[in-house]
Amino acid sequence: MKKLIAIIATVVLLPAAAIAETFDEAFEMNRAMYGKGYTFTWSGQQYSTDHQEEVEARVDATKANAESLIAKAKAHNAEVAKVGFEWKLTKGLLKDAEAAIESGDYRKALNLAAQAKYHARIGLQQHAYAEKNWHLSVPQ
Amino acid sequence: MKIIKNITIGLSLLLSSQLVFSAQPGTTLASVNPEADRMALQNYFKKRFPDAELADYVNGIYAVDADSREQWEELESFPPYEFDVEEGERLFKTAFANGKGYADCFENGGVGIRQNFPYWDKEASTVKTLEQEINECRESNGEKPLKWGKGAIAQISAYMAWTSRDNVFDIKIPEGDEGALAAYLEGKKFFYTKRGQLNLSCANCHLQGSNVRIRADLAGPALGHPSHFPVFRSKWGSLGTLHRRYKGCHKDSRSKPLDMQHETFRNLEYFQTYMSNGLVVNGPGSRK
Repeated sequence: MKKLIAIIATVVLLPAAAIAETFDEAFEMNRAMYGKGYTFTWSGQQYSTDHQEEVEARVDATKANAESLIAKAKAHNAEVAKVGFEWKLTKGLLKDAEAAIESGDYRKALNLAAQAKYHARIGLQQHAYAEKNWHLSVPQ
Repeated sequence: MKIIKNITIGLSLLLSSQLVFSAQPGTTLASVNPEADRMALQNYFKKRFPDAELADYVNGIYAVDADSREQWEELESFPPYEFDVEEGERLFKTAFANGKGYADCFENGGVGIRQNFPYWDKEASTVKTLEQEINECRESNGEKPLKWGKGAIAQISAYMAWTSRDNVFDIKIPEGDEGALAAYLEGKKFFYTKRGQLNLSCANCHLQGSNVRIRADLAGPALGHPSHFPVFRSKWGSLGTLHRRYKGCHKDSRSKPLDMQHETFRNLEYFQTYMSNGLVVNGPGSRK
């Protein structure tokens, strides 16, 4: 009897634990609800709804910082292009970021580069997800 | 100790059940079965739209939406592609500078062969499309290739489709040819893979989303998609090839679109046309 209870408990409770809200789900939900700059609690700890690129862009608006973020965004975009998941607007954002540097608007350049890097990072995540899950909508 | 043992048994049971669920047939070269895929797709649409005739899927959305069909039938009383077919015939029959013509490049003089494209070219180890062979024909006869999406190439392709109307699609994946099967599988994977900023797959619109509004448009079912290309699209105001549409769709998902006739698009066409085996050629067509 004890054996049976233990087996049933494992089979019933483990999937329930597995479907508890992940960090990514909590982040996406709070980001969608409250936008950037909001603090939420997950698993007893506090986190910000800022994307990592928004944090990266929050540096001094200098030419060097803007160029550095553009370089990072370009590297990420090259990576996502290699696996065939580049997004449509990313190159345009990078071009606009470079134009903003030319015109001396380094804050604008940082923000645009951050967007481009975000596109590329999420594109890579999308690729990783697709590799594992593309078959889910194939009719059987 | 006993509790640990029992939990271990429980976990094993759970893991084995998860493994059974995660073993997906049809996703690897060893397990992919194009015929089973084709039947599964047909069955999906039979269940989804029980009143639609299978043979009618060559008419796209007009097979499943009565209002759209009514408008389309009006449009077809004076088909907008008619002049393009005539021009395509003229171009097809115009000799190259060396005196040869398109008819010299194709089986049966290029007449009534649309249903065999695309095909797996074992020697070149790639999928070949009709438009690709039209340009190869030109180049091998000293002519410049045509642009892929519209204009002369679409008109010639439209004429060739016109001569093939009612012929049954018969795309082959040669038995035991791993390259051909891999190209088919790549096409299948592309079709079902979500991509772009809008995170959309071809299947999202043309399987789950068929006959569902996307803004003011109704997405057509995937079954029979390639049968009516090239198409005269009202939105374009001109005739366009299947790859022109692929590029547009790819861009609509906010992906950086591939070039027309890119190997990935040719594999997609191979998969999609195989799915339409048994249906007839009815190109060129007209669409909104």
